[in-house]
Amino acid sequence: MKRSTLIAILTDPQLWVPVVVLILGTTLLMTLR
Amino acid sequence: MNEKPSVTVERSTLSLHKLGVFCGLAAAVWLGSAEAPTKLVNSGYSPFILSMGMVMGAFVARWTVPTLLKGTGFLFSDLRDKPHLIVWALLAGMLWAVANTLTIFAVRNVGLAIAFPLWNTNSLVGLFWGWLLFKELRGSGIKGWAKVLGGAFAIVGGAGILALATSQQSSNAPGRAAVGIMAALGAGVLLGTMYIPYRKAYISGMNPLSFVTIFTFGELGTVTLLTAINLGGAGNMVTELHRARTMLFWPFLGGFCWVIGDLFQNFAAKYIGIGRGIPLSNTNQLWGLAWGALVFAELSGLSSTGKLLVFTGSGIMIAGAVAISMAAPLDSELTNWKQAMDRECERYGLNTQQVAAVVAGDDPHAGQPHHRRWWEVLVMCIAVGIFVWLALGTRAQHIYVNIPWMIVLMLATLVPLGVCGTLLYRRTRFS
Repeated sequence: MKRSTLIAILTDPQLWVPVVVLILGTTLLMTLR
Repeated sequence: MNEKPSVTVERSTLSLHKLGVFCGLAAAVWLGSAEAPTKLVNSGYSPFILSMGMVMGAFVARWTVPTLLKGTGFLFSDLRDKPHLIVWALLAGMLWAVANTLTIFAVRNVGLAIAFPLWNTNSLVGLFWGWLLFKELRGSGIKGWAKVLGGAFAIVGGAGILALATSQQSSNAPGRAAVGIMAALGAGVLLGTMYIPYRKAYISGMNPLSFVTIFTFGELGTVTLLTAINLGGAGNMVTELHRARTMLFWPFLGGFCWVIGDLFQNFAAKYIGIGRGIPLSNTNQLWGLAWGALVFAELSGLSSTGKLLVFTGSGIMIAGAVAISMAAPLDSELTNWKQAMDRECERYGLNTQQVAAVVAGDDPHAGQPHHRRWWEVLVMCIAVGIFVWLALGTRAQHIYVNIPWMIVLMLATLVPLGVCGTLLYRRTRFS
């Protein structure tokens, strides 16, 4: 994968919204256990 | 091996909105029917093992159906053109896995009546993300907003009423209500957010068949990890799976049906967006209810109030689906959709013309004959072999089944598959 594509991915808010939700969801799951 | 060139069939001129609506409704039929095989499993197994069996069946189906329809050459070529979307496809699979595990906790703690409507709000979360990130519904006017938002709320409300009427567990729910409610709400947010990768992939011109092929790795990997954690280690998980050997065929079959529904849901998300497509496919509860009530006689002891609630909830849900079906996007909204697509093309260096053609259902590569590889036959044989092996080891389940109604519902499930599959092929060649 090109460096420019990698930067485009890492600076894309549409990546970080699901990533943050996934982290919060996993944390919630581990807490509820 | 080479596939013979297919006979050229005229492309249909069906509008993409109508096609997307058909896909959303077909998704509901198959996602709802996916629950039927799991009802054949007697209790006594961990819900995590049931869920994992379903995901394993889905994994098998997610490799075979796309391979059968398009061939691995097309799928790999699609992935090579947009490699960045692999990240989002994996992410979507992981989101689904965590959400699904949360729903198990939710049902366990507050019962289906409270949990189901709460996580069914995922369509409203998806609608919000569609508006915020992909400019869906912008420029649709008050009427468009009223139909889509009103329809989505009606479907969630109808789901709540149905769950209330049909749940046997609500009065027996354990006291840990707050935990269950948080789990259900969390599942709703995760599932709603899962549609961000869906929509992003499709406005970038990715084929839904390629997307689900990658999605399934994130899904199976995360479910395996979570199941191992929840059962106290990988050893326990393997032991439980072994113990469940005689019933695994049913969740596998459910997983297979679920993949068909999921594919239609993905095509709906592609052609009418997540704001419209997801609420439509969320009417799957009606079909789950039909299987439960007509085939498994689950509602035989329902009071007249309960029956009234079932009819009311179903009516509200159908009205919501009709409202969304009639909310075709205006040109002003389609301009906003195009802006969202242009953003992806600019950011990731995609060919705008080609992506626009694919988004419009006219993938230039879709109708071309493609090479078939020898390993595709192997994939098919392995998949069929797994199902046959599981079926041979399955013990008969002593559960009441109404055969005439089962035949009727099986036909009612196969008809949308045939009709919608044909429409998709004739209009888009599954692009």
